[in-house]
Amino acid sequence: MSTTWNGDQVAPLFGYLGAASALVFSCFGAAYGTAKSGVGIASMGVMRPELVMKSIVPVVMAGVLGIYGLIIAVIISTNINQTADKAYYFFDGYAHFAAGLACGLAGLGAGMAIGIVGDAGVRANAQQPKLFVGMILILIFAEALALYGLIVGIILASKATTAAPMSNP
Amino acid sequence: MCLFNVKDGFLEAVVRGYKLGLLTTADYNNLCQCETLEDIKLYLTGTDYGPFLANEPSPMHTTTLVDCCTRKLVADWRYLRENAGEPLGRFLDYCTYGHMIDNVVLIVTGTLHERDVQELLEKCNPLGMFDAIASLAVAQNMRDLYRLVLVDTPLAPYFSDNLTSEDLDEMNIEVMRNTLYKAYLDDFAAFVHRVGGTTAGVMSELLSFEADRRALNITLNSIGTELTRDDRRKLYANFGLLYPHGQAELAVAEDFDQIRTAMEKCQPYQSIFSRLGLGETQMLDKILYEEEVRQLINTYEQQFHYGVFYAYMRLREQEIRNIMWIAECVAQDQKNRVQDGIVFTF
Repeated sequence: MSTTWNGDQVAPLFGYLGAASALVFSCFGAAYGTAKSGVGIASMGVMRPELVMKSIVPVVMAGVLGIYGLIIAVIISTNINQTADKAYYFFDGYAHFAAGLACGLAGLGAGMAIGIVGDAGVRANAQQPKLFVGMILILIFAEALALYGLIVGIILASKATTAAPMSNP
Repeated sequence: MCLFNVKDGFLEAVVRGYKLGLLTTADYNNLCQCETLEDIKLYLTGTDYGPFLANEPSPMHTTTLVDCCTRKLVADWRYLRENAGEPLGRFLDYCTYGHMIDNVVLIVTGTLHERDVQELLEKCNPLGMFDAIASLAVAQNMRDLYRLVLVDTPLAPYFSDNLTSEDLDEMNIEVMRNTLYKAYLDDFAAFVHRVGGTTAGVMSELLSFEADRRALNITLNSIGTELTRDDRRKLYANFGLLYPHGQAELAVAEDFDQIRTAMEKCQPYQSIFSRLGLGETQMLDKILYEEEVRQLINTYEQQFHYGVFYAYMRLREQEIRNIMWIAECVAQDQKNRVQDGIVFTF
């Protein structure tokens, strides 16, 4: 005697994959950004230790990317419900999957950009302090890419509960 | 190409910044107008050499001037080497092995002529220093030289390839230098080939020119000596525009005209030799330097390759040679010969 589910049985696969990919890819990006800029800070800090705290900015920005992934993962996972009164259709699964991928891969790209720019930027800032403002502006533009991913992820995830099937067989 | 900037973008930007600080034709013209070494020092303090020259005490000699300029090159190179990842770090090391070979030969020759070790160490090229260099003076013969000191340096493979210890004992020091240099050039060409991409294309052109130039100089210097044709052939590198047919002809050449005939069969060298009058050898060095500088400047036209680092080192060395020539002409009051020895870069 097989169990019957409200909605589509396989749909939560996509939903949970979305939640996982949001977190995993954003954390890849955050890790790359932290590692690459960390190497630059360590190299530059030998000669100019007073600039190290100012140069932590790329590391902080890379960390924020992980938080974006966390937000989307939490939003998605709280909305996956397959109970008697709440159905979970493929529609919802796809929406959550898209939301997770959008946020996660945007965070991965932003993390790579922040890492490379942060590495070169902190080394150059050690030699020419006037470059600090320029480096911050470039990092902000890179961070904005992940923010776009977060916004689109939230919009997509909010579409998930709006499925209205025509008939229930 | 897209991923070059991930590891090496910062250093390429830094080296292009250094290149912008090289002296231009206008700077050289101003330097040629200087009457004394103090004027030269004053002018150079306004260029990139400023921080290195500023604290020198007043009676200037040409050697102190050249030392300060070399210190700038060494400081720049050290910054590049410290910030380099791989394989750029290995590439930068390869660029300095030629200087290491020169230093080793200098110390060995000096020791043979009973000079003081400290004096020799001061004359060594700072880009080619390695840790155990002072103990080269202690070795009694070539075998000890290799066993005690050189086996730990990056030059070790160049010795063991084609030199046995009997060879080392009997060999003339210049022949040893050229044998090592040949092994170094072959190794560098192979390394560059492994790196691949634009670097391989740019660097193999520069290294071919270097190999051919050395073949030409070896031939010129060994006319009339006891170096046999086979030995001469063994000193030529295994690549380059002259390999293998041009080198076969150079190996049997006995005077300058035969050399000239052999070189002119190669299209790029024909245009170089056509600028040289008939039977004239003094200008050959200067024309070869000019050709080298022209090729080095062209490497900056392309991006995302390591040739710019090698080119920067060579261009800076050429500039230091130019400054030394100008300073010597000024110190010896021979201003009319100044223009003969300068190779203009821009």
